[in-house]
Amino acid sequence: MFQKILIANRGEIAVRVLRACKEMGIRTVGVFSEVDRRALHTRYADEAYCIGPPPARESYLVIDKILEVAKASGAQAIHPGYGFLAENPLFADRCEKEKIKLIGPSAYAMRTMGSKTLARKTVQAAGVPVVPGTVEPIASEEEVFRVAKEIGFPVMLKATAGGGGKGLRLVREEGELRSSLRMAKSEAKSAFSDDSVYIEKYIENPRHVEVQILGDQHGNYVHLCERECSIQRRHQKVIEESPSVIITPEIRAAMGKVAIEAARAVQYEGAGTCEFLVDRKRNFFFLEMNTRLQVEHPVTEMVTGIDIVKEQIRVAAGEKLSVRQEDVKQTGHAIECRVYAEDPERNFMPCPGTVTSLRIPGGPGVRDDSGMYTGFEIPIYYDPIISKLVAWGKDRTEAIARMKRALAEYVVTGVKTTIPFHIRVMNNRHFIAGNFDTNFIDKVFFKEEEARRLENEEVALFAAAIQVFSEERKRAAAFKPGEAAGPASMWKYSTRPGIRKIG
Amino acid sequence: MNYVATIGEREVKVTVEELGGANYKVTLDGREHVVDAHQVANGLWSVLYGYSSFEVDVTRHPGDEFEALIDGDCHKFSLMNEQRRAMIRAGGKGAAGKAMVTSPMPGKVVKLLVNEGEEVRADQGVIVVEAMKMENELKSAIAGKVKEIFVKEGEVVESGAKLLLVE
Repeated sequence: MFQKILIANRGEIAVRVLRACKEMGIRTVGVFSEVDRRALHTRYADEAYCIGPPPARESYLVIDKILEVAKASGAQAIHPGYGFLAENPLFADRCEKEKIKLIGPSAYAMRTMGSKTLARKTVQAAGVPVVPGTVEPIASEEEVFRVAKEIGFPVMLKATAGGGGKGLRLVREEGELRSSLRMAKSEAKSAFSDDSVYIEKYIENPRHVEVQILGDQHGNYVHLCERECSIQRRHQKVIEESPSVIITPEIRAAMGKVAIEAARAVQYEGAGTCEFLVDRKRNFFFLEMNTRLQVEHPVTEMVTGIDIVKEQIRVAAGEKLSVRQEDVKQTGHAIECRVYAEDPERNFMPCPGTVTSLRIPGGPGVRDDSGMYTGFEIPIYYDPIISKLVAWGKDRTEAIARMKRALAEYVVTGVKTTIPFHIRVMNNRHFIAGNFDTNFIDKVFFKEEEARRLENEEVALFAAAIQVFSEERKRAAAFKPGEAAGPASMWKYSTRPGIRKIG
Repeated sequence: MNYVATIGEREVKVTVEELGGANYKVTLDGREHVVDAHQVANGLWSVLYGYSSFEVDVTRHPGDEFEALIDGDCHKFSLMNEQRRAMIRAGGKGAAGKAMVTSPMPGKVVKLLVNEGEEVRADQGVIVVEAMKMENELKSAIAGKVKEIFVKEGEVVESGAKLLLVE
């Protein structure tokens, strides 16, 4: 086993990995940018090294600096977390060259799964169902027509070099195909200087369901069942849960099997996730494989009892997986809400700033993975995720009730957060019924919310008016020293009517 | 003390009177309520109304605009001292015809989309401020001419910082 691990990340995920290392008795090395000197991960690590200025490309993304710290500190392995260098095959190559173990899959697995067309080809060859369509760019207009008719409308035209929604065209019927192709090509040309496009069947109102897998260096694989990630805002996951209400034991077994086949096809090592789109008839299609720890891994940990980060570390050290497939069981139900420093009242505008007060929920079945504390200044330079709140219950109903309860306990002042948004989703009848797809938040939820009447308006007015009143009083008192009211007597307070005494 | 709250189109007359300790008599359009309110953290209030216990997170924005968050419901309204309101009304349109674009969050100025002296439309994007990997285009509230630009591209700005003035 490793004696010392460097964590090449920041924020909540660095704290999560640190926790696993500490529980395993492994010494930890943190890295931090100049603006993260006071961050929680810097304070929790056994050793911490400054790796440069705040922008990630000058600190957390600089391979040379990370490796320099690894060598200087004597770390034998590096955990990349998610984001930053986590899926960078160049980083994996460099680690290998420097004989420092990167906790994760090989550069080869990252490269294969990182390329849309190569990943598709590879998993298809391994028998994994993919969205019907072409893998290669389409050569001619005739071929576009032939393939489109073969797979059936609606179809999606996608830029081969694509990303960020550019060069995407949905085509509902044959008549639109010619002009859509022209537009997709010209968009692709101007965005990526490459006008090649491919064609795929368009899955209407899909759900996003993914399977967590683990693999070791000895050819053993297990899957840890599914996570439902259809609650997305602008294609970003915001709430995840396990199990998924639409997945039957048969589908679960089938999905798990193909996810393992996909992993085996690239001799996958460590933790990985196969993402699938599921259509209304519960057909599932491979979307992509993420070759890293996922943000939402805690929901799987809560229902399976398996510590995914510890398994990652164990298999990286050459050990065999500690679980066999027959040991893996989903017990109860877990939900995760991603808490962002964003203002839901202002179109989710990022809201960096200082956390002036913080109350983290506790009690049965609640887990909070966060990187903040009272007085912490959330920097402007990085992803706005500040916490992941996870609730476990014996079933979905209890998990939702517990999440609602925990969200109501969660207080963050000084910055705006998405906690109120999550409370609203937990109260939404479609969410409660499990009736949603990946378009639910953007297309249904926000519309329903607009029409909603708010409750307890008078209490809102009381609090604001009393706050203004107190401020005015304080200001007035400052002009007349000596007349300012002294501190309220605790004796008076305890006899005040309207205060319930317990016990 | 007398206040006026404006909630959407509605106006509510609010008065607050201290009853001692943390008890207040608050009237809303003449209806009296006794409220026990403690500020437990900056802007965070524990309110007992009758025997019902509430937690209210109050945020005050510039221009006497308020947000009060109660269990996921965000109430938005303006609340102003009656005297202050009268003064502003009497002061008339002193500020009309001018609109300051300010940064709603701490961040970095990525791009200026206009130059000084340029004509802009209402709702035209004038400046891009980046925070937390997201670029946010800020718009001019009014049509007019860019009178002055207070920041440079690449500059780090605080929340509420003056960015540019449209007249």
